[in-house]
Amino acid sequence: MPKDAGDAKLLFQSLNKAYAATPTNLKIIDLYVVFAMATALVQVAYMGVVGSFPFNSFLSSVLSCIGSAVLAVCLRIQVNKDNKEFKDLPPERAFADFVLCNLVLHLVIMNFLG
Amino acid sequence: MAAPRVLLLLAAAALLAVSSVGDASGEGPRGRKLLVLVDDLAVRSSHSAFFGSLQARGLDLEFRLADDPKLSLHRYGQYLYDGLVLFAPSTPRFGGSVDQNAVLEFIDAGHDMILAADHSASDLIRGIATECGVDFDEDPEAMVIDHINYASSEVEGDHTLIAGDDLIQSDVILGSKKIEAPVLFRGIGHAANPSNSLVLKVLSASPSAYSANPEAKLASVPSLTGFLKSGVQKAGSKMSHDKAGNEQFVTETSKWVFHERGHLKAVNVKHHKVGETNEPSMYRINDDLEYSVEIYEWSGTSWKPYVADDVQIQFFMMSPYVLKNMSTDKTAVYSASFKVPDVYGVFQFKVEYQRLGYTGLSLAKQIPVRPYRHDEYERFITSAFPYYAASFSTMGAFFIFSVAYLYHK
Repeated sequence: MPKDAGDAKLLFQSLNKAYAATPTNLKIIDLYVVFAMATALVQVAYMGVVGSFPFNSFLSSVLSCIGSAVLAVCLRIQVNKDNKEFKDLPPERAFADFVLCNLVLHLVIMNFLG
Repeated sequence: MAAPRVLLLLAAAALLAVSSVGDASGEGPRGRKLLVLVDDLAVRSSHSAFFGSLQARGLDLEFRLADDPKLSLHRYGQYLYDGLVLFAPSTPRFGGSVDQNAVLEFIDAGHDMILAADHSASDLIRGIATECGVDFDEDPEAMVIDHINYASSEVEGDHTLIAGDDLIQSDVILGSKKIEAPVLFRGIGHAANPSNSLVLKVLSASPSAYSANPEAKLASVPSLTGFLKSGVQKAGSKMSHDKAGNEQFVTETSKWVFHERGHLKAVNVKHHKVGETNEPSMYRINDDLEYSVEIYEWSGTSWKPYVADDVQIQFFMMSPYVLKNMSTDKTAVYSASFKVPDVYGVFQFKVEYQRLGYTGLSLAKQIPVRPYRHDEYERFITSAFPYYAASFSTMGAFFIFSVAYLYHK
């Protein structure tokens, strides 16, 4: 219906405007999360086509994508200035945690990749 | 009693035990001592041609009267003889320690027996035959009569001397030379249950034969061996033979009964991976392996290589995954090579060989088959390249992200 289509368009535009107001560093984190999830979906689609033969490799790459996405989301939560809970946490500390966790994650997936 | 078809068997109940692996080479599978039980020692001379042919082949015959009180088949737990010939159809009871059970135990222990019976067969003889799967006609006056295939050299008109030529098709039982002349027979009929797989019909009468009481006087000795030398012509057939087929038939069958033909043994089972010589305790899936076995046949004097093209090897786990004919280069070694299937588990190398007239071979050797070890795969699996690429791209993305995050304005 033209009215619904118009409503959807209005909704989309208002969301876009609200999102434009977020700080740049959060936008960079969001972009990184989207990239990781897209890679994970590509992996799953490939496994659906070819079959799960080296299942450990499949799990390793999916874990890598999802793990990176999860860690990035954690970083975003801790760094967001609007978040009351982490008001006292210095953002450098949050970023350092993020880097260390990513190091452990990549160590694990390199081992499990076979 | 008239039956549509009365089957005539040569009453030779020979049990061929399953051949065991590892007989002493050079020695035959059976000893050569036979006990011959007769009603009347005159049988020894009336059937001298038959006994002479047995002795000429190296068999050691001991003649005893069937009711000899000192008769015994075994002493101190060991059997004294390797075979039994019962030419005593009218004996009601054997002497000494021999009775129906003793004879049956003797056979079950893996020994051979020839049994002859005629119309005067006692219950003892009939009982032994029934236990071996052969039932004689119950009417004591009945004989086999055939009005179409009778021997026309006899002047009696009751057609009880019949000519049979329906022989079993087996070179191992009847010899490689074909028995041309029909076999003359006068006697009682007997039948075997067709569902019994252990009884072979070696010689049958024609479909026009039946068992009934003739009015003429009956013959009183087993007559199969009484016609070794007489000529025969089948009524209605143009061919006339100088000699009946009896002698050849009886000689060849007794050779088969006493293991001079058709006794197989399988020794030396070997298997190994192609290119190696040791026998591994376990194979891996998709290995190439070779299996070999040696099969010999006893020829009466020595073990000769058995030559056939239908011995098969099975790689078996609940059902045969591989079933292959083994080839031989005529030196008794049968071998085949194949690829282990892509299934892991505990398999068996099985050779099952049951052919008419030959001892059965039933060999099984267990062997486990394992899947690939983790380091037996290729180092980089082609179908996993997208996964490798994704993992590395995530690492790269993390690096670029942290640079961008730290240094953006």
